[in-house]
Amino acid sequence: MFKISDLQSQEASLRGLKRRSKIVMAFLFVLSLAGTIQILKLTVIQQENYVTESEKNRIIRVPVYPARGLIGLSGDHSLLVENIVSQKLTINPISTVNIDSTIKDIQKSIGIPEEVIHSFYDGISSNPRNTNITLMDNLSEEQVAKYLLHKERWPSSDIDAYLKRYVINGPLFSHVVGYTGAVTKQERDDEEYNYSINSRLGKTGIEKTYENELRGKVGYRTVEVDVHGKEVRELEKVLPLKAKNIFLSLDKELQELARRELKGRRGAVVALDPNSGLVKVLVSSPDYNPNIFNETAKGNLISLTSDTNAPFFNRAISGNYPPASTLKPFLGLLGLENEIINWNTKIQDEGFFQIQNEGRKYRGWKEEGHGVVDLNKAIVESSDVYFYQLASKTTVDQINSFLKPFGFGQKTGINLVGEESGVLPSRNWKLGRTGEAWFVGDTINLGIGQGYISVTPLQLAVAVSVLATKGKAYKPNIVERIDDTFIEPELLYQVKIKEKRNWKKLEESMISVIRSWNGTAHNIFNTESALIAGKTGTAQIKSLTEENLTVQEEYKSIRQDVKKRDHAIFVGYGPIPSPNLTVVVVVENGESGSAVAAPIAKLIIDNYQITKDSDV
Amino acid sequence: MSKRPLDYNLNRPFSTSRFSLSRIFKDTILVCSVLVVLIFGIFMLYSASGQSESMVLKQLVYMGLGFIGMLAIAQINPNSYQNVLINLYWIGLIMLIYVLIIPDERHVTKRWIDLGLFSFQPSEVIRLILPLSIAAFLTRKELKPKYSDWFISLIAVLLLSFLIYQQPDLGTSLIVFTSGFLPIFLTGFPLFIIIFALSLMGILSPLIYAGLSSYQQQRIITLFDPNADPLGTGWNIAQSKTAIGSGGYFGKGYLEGTQSQLDFIPESHSDFIFAVIAEELGLLGMSLLFLAYAIIIYRIFFIAFRSETIFGRLASASIGFIFLIFILINVSMVVGIIPVVGVPLPLVSQGGTSLATHLLAFGFVLSVKRKSGW
Repeated sequence: MFKISDLQSQEASLRGLKRRSKIVMAFLFVLSLAGTIQILKLTVIQQENYVTESEKNRIIRVPVYPARGLIGLSGDHSLLVENIVSQKLTINPISTVNIDSTIKDIQKSIGIPEEVIHSFYDGISSNPRNTNITLMDNLSEEQVAKYLLHKERWPSSDIDAYLKRYVINGPLFSHVVGYTGAVTKQERDDEEYNYSINSRLGKTGIEKTYENELRGKVGYRTVEVDVHGKEVRELEKVLPLKAKNIFLSLDKELQELARRELKGRRGAVVALDPNSGLVKVLVSSPDYNPNIFNETAKGNLISLTSDTNAPFFNRAISGNYPPASTLKPFLGLLGLENEIINWNTKIQDEGFFQIQNEGRKYRGWKEEGHGVVDLNKAIVESSDVYFYQLASKTTVDQINSFLKPFGFGQKTGINLVGEESGVLPSRNWKLGRTGEAWFVGDTINLGIGQGYISVTPLQLAVAVSVLATKGKAYKPNIVERIDDTFIEPELLYQVKIKEKRNWKKLEESMISVIRSWNGTAHNIFNTESALIAGKTGTAQIKSLTEENLTVQEEYKSIRQDVKKRDHAIFVGYGPIPSPNLTVVVVVENGESGSAVAAPIAKLIIDNYQITKDSDV
Repeated sequence: MSKRPLDYNLNRPFSTSRFSLSRIFKDTILVCSVLVVLIFGIFMLYSASGQSESMVLKQLVYMGLGFIGMLAIAQINPNSYQNVLINLYWIGLIMLIYVLIIPDERHVTKRWIDLGLFSFQPSEVIRLILPLSIAAFLTRKELKPKYSDWFISLIAVLLLSFLIYQQPDLGTSLIVFTSGFLPIFLTGFPLFIIIFALSLMGILSPLIYAGLSSYQQQRIITLFDPNADPLGTGWNIAQSKTAIGSGGYFGKGYLEGTQSQLDFIPESHSDFIFAVIAEELGLLGMSLLFLAYAIIIYRIFFIAFRSETIFGRLASASIGFIFLIFILINVSMVVGIIPVVGVPLPLVSQGGTSLATHLLAFGFVLSVKRKSGW
């Protein structure tokens, strides 16, 4: 009995266990079915998808950047901008066990300024996962040595060599070559070139204009990496295309001369070969050391940017100045061309001009006047009254259409960034600008190159080159060749006049400005040196309106404020009869075109002849 | 052969070596299948660990100890250690309280016990010995368990699960509960209570959830939705799926898996070793492993349902189910259909505790098989 019931309960428990086991099995079967379906889905249906995914994981393309192209001078083959090797300390934050104490230790051991550490921490979050982040660049030799001494204490750090931009002559070519800067997010998102997050690219000057040539073509390496981004092996390598070198047409000695003569005053000197447009001098003063931007020189950027003399402003191509009396030869030509005057037309200059002998007095710079004046004397002595009268007989439309082919009011298209177009006014221009109609008085002001008209020094150089070449202007070009490919001169403007003789006669007058005893720039004349044609200009910043004061008296009070003093301008070319250099000198608030600007221009033309001769 | 005692005795001297081996193994098919999986696991561990010989050696030591332990336990009469198993529960309880009070300072979570030479997670041992302990308790009277036995067991299981939840480890806590509840369920725990409890939980779950702190809520969200943590768990699962999918039919070849060898698979040597197998050996390799597992499980149930004692049956069946459940949970989490909980792939994943306890559990199963020649 007992045994039977025991057997029965044994039977029952086995049956019960099997029944319950089936229920559990049923649950587990559902789970294993789901697992099987998922495995088949991954390995069969989505196989290709995941193969691609796993390849994307392990294979990455690392761009290989060519060294940035060099900038040199075409003439003497000297280098202006080169690449120098610099050392930077990088650290991988992901693989650093205790980032804060590691950084503190490194900082203490090799000496890193506090603000560098701050900017490192600021940069950590914006960098992608698993990349080496620069802790400090531009390490000194001492810092590198100290690092190597304790290197094994910081396994996640490393020292990398990289190339930096160095402008050899510092400020001398600053406004031409420009500088490089860190790539912006926008520039990275852009276009066909694959800039890295550490890339530097041209921000101004030649560095920017010729960015495409200087950067070369990026190559790449296909490498296998592990999950930490560490390279395991190289699969493929495509070499980068060598960057191009840029050779400038500038003349280093003239450049130095111009810079020296400007003596740090605000101003600009432009000199170019009128027969080709090749720029020989382009100086804007004051200047700056581009190496501060290139991070190869120390300097205080804040004091530079807050400098009221605006050292970053390229006055040679962006400065707008009234052409003042330097416009007179062009207007004389206009008078001749439109038969308003001829070389014999004479007027009586009593020191002022009035429309129909009434109303406002337009005063000349010479209180007592120049007496009887013809066109030649008006240019040589720079008679304001003669040109007031000439302007009063013409219209703004005539002036506008005559001056346009000389390049006034238009950008020259020089291969530098930031060029301004100046202003060649017209009725519509004034209406749009001020909402006012054009007045006769505005035209009369144009007669002496004042009023609404403004030019850049470079623009003026192009216009004067038209006089030098008797009708032709080439596009100003600062790059003579790229590698060994010379850039062809490009004809920009052509001015045709009815009476070709007038070119020559105008040149005679401009020669007399210097050679003639009564010429405004006679102070720079000497018999030995090259024959120069030129014209002085003294651009008023504040017009003289107080009629009860004499010109001298009124100007005396204006002079009190340096920044309101007149700009000194001189334009010229030489040597006559076959000019090879056009020079424009502007000295802001320099007061006297003849005393301040003209000597610089003469020095440049004379020195250019010496280098020319030594070349031959 | 013949089962007559006389034949048995007569045959003995003539074939000592053959018979002694099968006597030691008790079930040659089960032991050989286990050995095949172990050897396979060693090779996969070598690949998954980035060819770390020291890790493989350590694993081999545990494997050897576990294997000897398994064969040793196989020789014991199960009735003689039933009471010992019941009391194993207390050891588990003490270990769990110990880690909560004196946590190992090298780890963030309170899961580890450091024994100098090695450290281990008690919860890994508990999820294997708890079902044995409960099975031993429920069958100690060779009768259908009483309601009181069931409820004592249930409270004991819930207590351990709660302690593990405090570590905090919600996933393992659920697994320990499942493994502890398994023998209770298999002995015929009334279904209506289970259904009642489940529906009560269904109704109350919004209330319980609302009552939790936001930190606890976050823990639950992360467990069930890996995408809530895209750089952590979500990324891991994506890499694991990529490894499995890219392995295709025949795999990329042993030691050739790019996801595995380049460290894209997280925890590739432990919980995610299945992804390494799938990537390097493909669908074929997975199928062969599943076949070996299937033979092991088949042999366990074969032994279980032929056992003479209720305890033997229940303990073996529980071990068989736990083994299967661990395989299914591990594979399901690696292929990304269930949340990631810390369950290693039995017999293959790196980890001495898990490996040794699995082998010892097989020892109990083998011990249940009293006679050879089934």
